[in-house]
Amino acid sequence: MAVAVVNDVLTHYEHMPARDGTQRSAPKVVCVHGLGYDSLASFYLTLAAPLAEAGVDVLTYDLRGHGRSHRPATGYRLGDFVDDLVSLLDLTVGPEPVHLVGNSFGGTIAFSMAARYPQRVRSIVAIESEPATGIWSAKMGRTFRNTVDAMSDEANLAWIAVTFGNHYARLTKAAAAMIRSTTIVEQVAAGPLLDEQALASIRCPVLAILGGEGFQSDDLGALGAMLPDCRTEVIDGQNHSVLVERHPLVRKLLLGWLAEHDPVGLLADGTPP
Amino acid sequence: MTALDEIRTILTTVLGDYVLDDVEITRDMSLTEDLGLESIDLVTVGAMLTERYGSQVNLAAFLAEMDIDDVIAMKVGTLVDFVADRSAPSLATER
Repeated sequence: MAVAVVNDVLTHYEHMPARDGTQRSAPKVVCVHGLGYDSLASFYLTLAAPLAEAGVDVLTYDLRGHGRSHRPATGYRLGDFVDDLVSLLDLTVGPEPVHLVGNSFGGTIAFSMAARYPQRVRSIVAIESEPATGIWSAKMGRTFRNTVDAMSDEANLAWIAVTFGNHYARLTKAAAAMIRSTTIVEQVAAGPLLDEQALASIRCPVLAILGGEGFQSDDLGALGAMLPDCRTEVIDGQNHSVLVERHPLVRKLLLGWLAEHDPVGLLADGTPP
Repeated sequence: MTALDEIRTILTTVLGDYVLDDVEITRDMSLTEDLGLESIDLVTVGAMLTERYGSQVNLAAFLAEMDIDDVIAMKVGTLVDFVADRSAPSLATER
């Protein structure tokens, strides 16, 4: 298990080098997971190994408070997560621009990173994600309030265990413990948020992969209208769990995206030259 | 030591204080439902397997070809067979 001290927080990360380690032009992809019971495992168990096998250099890490990273009581503003990502890149892959692949809140971090440090981001693949706008903040606030209410009821946990199995019930309990022991609920939705000018400054190419029945199903074209260079792929009938439930399709879309935007590293079919 | 013995050792290490007292880990046990492993624990198991057997035992690549439901339902025996198939021949016949 690789760890680094990132802004005073012991941070767990996993690096999967491209299959051909001597290939200096390998695309560099950094995967950022979502909030709650998510961790780097979502990427490790789905995309990381196949991407590395295809010639991509993959880095993924546990956000502060998640997975095997330490859990400070406070420091959960969106800006803190961006600071962590920048510091981790400084400690690992260095200053060259990377492709950010964000799942849910991980994509929100990626958008804020691109707005603050455009020279560090080559492209963004946002899976069921949206930038930190006022609409996003309101949605996050509602989601957190509903989640806290639901998790405080033991009957709901029992229902989750019966309906989805003990595995999901344990994950939910772990997320509840994080919510109770940190300021994450109070801080995450506060941003800092991105205004129109900041959104317009995200000039790197963006691939948005959305579930047709996911968190953005009310307006599947919103990201395309909001960002200067965004392509949207919608997976019909899919809920928010795009990454874990549809990872073969996400892998195909991602390798095609890298072949298109990092042609030195990959051939058009997603294999190394 | 058989592949099952080696997997038992790794799982006991990963489970740490959460390991069930006086319960022997068997091939039929589910990694998540019976042993209580979380997805992040599988990352640790994968790292320990690579450290023990080398890069040819790539758990991440193995799991990436499975549906999430199959990963959650995976049994100890599946993990043992995977390691035996990918590791040195000495373990392939001693599962």
